[in-house]
Amino acid sequence: MMDCKNIREILDLYVDGELSPEASVQVETHLAECVACRNTVARLNRLRHAVKTAVKQYQLPAQLIDQVRQSTVFQWRRATTWVLVAATVLLVAVLGFFSSQVRATVADGLEVAAFHLDDSRATVMEGKLLCRDCLLKDEYGYHAMCPTRGHHGSLQTSDGKIWHILDGDASEELIHNSKLLGRTVRIHGRCFRRASSVEVDSYEVL
Amino acid sequence: MSWTRRSRLFERDALPHLPALYRVARQLAGAAAADHLVQETFLRAWKYFETFDSTTNCRAWLFRILRNVWINRWRKTHLELPLAEMGEEQIEPYYDWEDEFLREEISAGIEHALSDLPADYRLTILLADVEELTYEEIARVMECQIGTVMSRLNRGRKMLARFVRNYDQERSSGPKSAAFSRRKP
Repeated sequence: MMDCKNIREILDLYVDGELSPEASVQVETHLAECVACRNTVARLNRLRHAVKTAVKQYQLPAQLIDQVRQSTVFQWRRATTWVLVAATVLLVAVLGFFSSQVRATVADGLEVAAFHLDDSRATVMEGKLLCRDCLLKDEYGYHAMCPTRGHHGSLQTSDGKIWHILDGDASEELIHNSKLLGRTVRIHGRCFRRASSVEVDSYEVL
Repeated sequence: MSWTRRSRLFERDALPHLPALYRVARQLAGAAAADHLVQETFLRAWKYFETFDSTTNCRAWLFRILRNVWINRWRKTHLELPLAEMGEEQIEPYYDWEDEFLREEISAGIEHALSDLPADYRLTILLADVEELTYEEIARVMECQIGTVMSRLNRGRKMLARFVRNYDQERSSGPKSAAFSRRKP
């Protein structure tokens, strides 16, 4: 059986709900019989209540909520948004680059640039002698007339560009001799970039 | 933990405790510094959120950060933190509450009285009476033994009651003596 001294030593634990159920029952049994201890508990609870009321009056400022959110969860969301935007732009650019329409636009642009930069000049070109019509057939499905009219030699340089070989004394063999097809040749002459053509002065089969 | 998940959990577990953190910060640091204290607390909480054990009380974890931020702030400003006095393990029975005191509604002096308490006593009382944390949780926040929590509560409440009584007596004795002799935190 608890007396007043025992009770008052554990009052904090009692009002804070930290006592075991058995100990709480003993305290309540004593309180039911002891007015002095009941009053002490009431005063202690009044003090606790006053503290709670005084402190709970403080209202969280609305701008502080925004500031905290901005500096924590929204901060990375903003960063993530920018990363996503950048990634999207990059993806669109890459996809766009490989789309035939964009590729054609870029090619046209390059052609225009080449057209304006064109200047026929003496040159030495090296490349593989291939049949132009067969190449176009393989690449674009062009209906080549090679089986009936024979192959037409052209020069494909290492950048993939096909150069038309202009007719002339020095170029006769290069254009019409099918045995040279597939050989690497070095041509001395003049190039006409705008016409993608090369005039042959001389050549050597490598 | 992915950023999306981290953000979602932070919103769910930490941000709802903003009001609780603010009111305690307000009592600890005053109106002028409370905002900064809370902001810094949540910045740290966000930074170290991955270390938070979700099976424990997030509010208690946040209070622990708040206390550390607050202590560091005091250290930075080269002020001595008024920690609890010595001999705090002792618990005294409530024998001195037999007078008229606390029979009536407690006056507005409670706020002044609270701010006059030593810092760790004040925080312990706030965590128990306002935030209703368990002694074990308070001990984790305060980084002390449960026995220390018990003695701080016991002595702090008595001290608080005395301060309120003194304040009320000084107020009722005349306007000149109404100024409360405050111990600076």
